[in-house]
Amino acid sequence: MLGQLASPDLVVVADFEAGLGTVMRLDGRPVDVIVVVVEPTAKSLEVGRRAADVVRESRLGRLVIAANRVRDEADAARVAAHFPGMELVVVPEDQAIVDAERRGVAPLDAAADSPAVRELVALAERILAPAGPPGRPLP
Amino acid sequence: MRVAFVGKGGVGKSSLAGTFARVLARTGERVLALDSDPMPGLAFSLGVERVDHGLPDEAIQEYEEEGRRRYRLRDGLTGTGAVEQYAVRGPDGVHFLQLGKARGPRWNNTRQHFGFQRVLDDLPGAGWSIVGDLPGGTRQPFMTWGRYAETFLVVIEPTSASVLTGRRLAGLAATDEAPRVAAVANKVRAPDDVEQIARRTGLQVVGAVPFDPHLATADRLGVALLDHDPEGSTAVAVASMVDTLRSGLEPS
Repeated sequence: MLGQLASPDLVVVADFEAGLGTVMRLDGRPVDVIVVVVEPTAKSLEVGRRAADVVRESRLGRLVIAANRVRDEADAARVAAHFPGMELVVVPEDQAIVDAERRGVAPLDAAADSPAVRELVALAERILAPAGPPGRPLP
Repeated sequence: MRVAFVGKGGVGKSSLAGTFARVLARTGERVLALDSDPMPGLAFSLGVERVDHGLPDEAIQEYEEEGRRRYRLRDGLTGTGAVEQYAVRGPDGVHFLQLGKARGPRWNNTRQHFGFQRVLDDLPGAGWSIVGDLPGGTRQPFMTWGRYAETFLVVIEPTSASVLTGRRLAGLAATDEAPRVAAVANKVRAPDDVEQIARRTGLQVVGAVPFDPHLATADRLGVALLDHDPEGSTAVAVASMVDTLRSGLEPS
């Protein structure tokens, strides 16, 4: 189905199941961008590192690490240390996202100006740019 | 006691399952913690140092049946024997066994997949309690990966997506083994969160765990909650849940 959707005028955004299974079933067929979402926890970083390994070793596409629920610089540094040299976007811990999820509404509708949503909008714009600038410089 | 923790990804299943297993072990029960998620998770929450503890290849035997390749435990190895031989001993004496972990683009866990299934068919019985941690979502729970469970504990946080997943998982009660299915409210922040979860899922809530910043810190440090904050609100809530289940949970 995803293959049939391919079109120059169409952007497909897929939210994959947790883990590596779906990424591995891409079976070497590349996509434009894979965003590996991690939290700054030991478990999530371990899973994210395995996902990033699969993406890079299989050359599946441009790899972006999205560090979610980042509370402080120490969190950001912890993520960066696990993904040296990789394109990184930092999404801060944001009460507006928590509130939106509790209410069952889209964060973009509920809190378009919140810090976390702003980072995601910037990521989308960067990905869509013809020759996107590199991600945030790594510490 | 045989319980399996299920729920939407990210709701805290592994954190609660690992803490639950250790608290249960501290009551004197012999506990086997089973992790059927191909992503590492429960090991961190238990406080087991190595995160990959799948069955080794030597435990699993390949054979042919009607021209198809099949796998079973090697001759003479029972499920109970596999637990005794290959489960690692974690903190508080918890035995820990997991499905082989995913690693690398050509990772193939067919052998471990079927080997683990054979262990589930022949788990140790009398004298053991089993605490399972299933991957997020509904796939594994409805595909019999939790068939050992007398009780499914559906971990639900007070978000719409988590409650919806919980409502779907409530359907486990109608599967062949007819297990009990109950909810655990996690990351509770508001006074009516528990009541809302019960009302919107139709499930009996047997545990309410408050939102706990110490858990986030433990997760960041990669240490088990019980080692980081042994007297904190999560540990207290899980201990209460263990008591509830040990005293005999009434069906919903």
